[in-house]
Amino acid sequence: MDYIALMQITRVISDNGLSSTPSGYRIDIRLPWYRSLPLSTVEVGEVLFDGAPVEASRVRFELEGNSYPLSAMPELVDKVWYVLDSAYLYVQASALPRGSEHSVSVTLNLYPPYIRGLKRVSRETKTLRAQ
Amino acid sequence: MNQASATTPGLKTGTTLYALTNEFLSRRFTFEGLLAETAKRGTGPGLEIVGFQSIRGFPEVSDEFADRFKELTAQYHLVPTSLGINADQEIRRGKLMSEDEMVAYQEPQIRAAAKLGFPVARYQYGAGPEVIRRLAPLAEKLDVKLGLEIHAPQHANHPDVLKYREMYAKAKSPNLGWIPDFSSTATTVPPSFLEHCRQNGVPEKLIELAMEIWHADGDTFARMKQYQERARAAGFDEAHVSQLSLIFPMFGKADPNSWKELMPEVVHIHGKFFGFDEEGNEECIDYPAILPLFKNGGFNGYMSSEWEGHMYSDADAFSMIERHQALCRRILAN
Repeated sequence: MDYIALMQITRVISDNGLSSTPSGYRIDIRLPWYRSLPLSTVEVGEVLFDGAPVEASRVRFELEGNSYPLSAMPELVDKVWYVLDSAYLYVQASALPRGSEHSVSVTLNLYPPYIRGLKRVSRETKTLRAQ
Repeated sequence: MNQASATTPGLKTGTTLYALTNEFLSRRFTFEGLLAETAKRGTGPGLEIVGFQSIRGFPEVSDEFADRFKELTAQYHLVPTSLGINADQEIRRGKLMSEDEMVAYQEPQIRAAAKLGFPVARYQYGAGPEVIRRLAPLAEKLDVKLGLEIHAPQHANHPDVLKYREMYAKAKSPNLGWIPDFSSTATTVPPSFLEHCRQNGVPEKLIELAMEIWHADGDTFARMKQYQERARAAGFDEAHVSQLSLIFPMFGKADPNSWKELMPEVVHIHGKFFGFDEEGNEECIDYPAILPLFKNGGFNGYMSSEWEGHMYSDADAFSMIERHQALCRRILAN
């Protein structure tokens, strides 16, 4: 499929959206679009932590308490990300000290299902203090 | 007020909650809060919503939600006008739904409109004429009109729209109609959008190139491609090139008079707007030329104030809608 990629400067990462977890950290993300979408049309692109790329295999996507590997998302046609909800990226990493400051960048690629051939690229970078 | 407004013939004002996307997504206002504020600002009485934005679990609508919605609209004297439904033909990336699947996908959305008391379901051209023809009997049974949103880059005489016009002429269903969106008939690209681009570092030379090609003749996507090729050849930053590519599909420059051809079947209007000049006129849509076409054409229904500047501006959308309606009242009073 030949996509037109439109780069948007928009909201992806929630304020105070970084928390440490027993197995690494969690990033609180929002759907950068005006309406709910099935997860099959949402792709997690590049994730950077303190400027370094995070391997996709170390990231899981969580919505409404269900967790998925990123590679499973294209099949999730019936799992809808309601536009007001946060989703979470759980990253496996060494523990983050609470209160430490980090630069976090997340790119989400959306394929709005009624606009053929559109890839909407949303990227946001924020400096966040680990909660 | 609600009763009087709903029965007064002519073009009546209203709000689409889509215009209030930022207020909603920032969690500053809940759905109920948006209705309350719309009532308080007097920017009804029409109320349009997008199903997949406002309703969790859409197209399923619980009895509880439907009851509460009816209670609130009665309390706030708001009149449900149009429910935005979506033709999501590609929820499986790279694989389009079949016609049967598209019928099945939109049926519950039309039922949702009926359940919530919306007289119109706004549908999108991606639905396809045959799918809509097949859905017309359901719409008739439910007393819901299916309105094709005609939005840039399409317009009243665009080949995609002509296919629907042909189908409508054959189907002769009283429940098939049109929803003109003024993005199709803009005079230029919103200066507020270009200003936003400048603030994001898009060079003036690139804006000049994009505007020159936007104003030239030719197919939308051919012009977009031409712009991208020339911009890349000139070595502009890809992110900047991409940001300005939006202007080709988002803003059309068809002749406003083309709306006249659709007039008897217009069931609702999207009063699209982006910003205002110093005199309070819309910055890229010629409302003084457009609104009389509908008024004189005998349009009897609602126009939603559809501010789309929220895509790039954090301005207070309620105030933008107030200004839009003040402008429209001034024009319609003449």
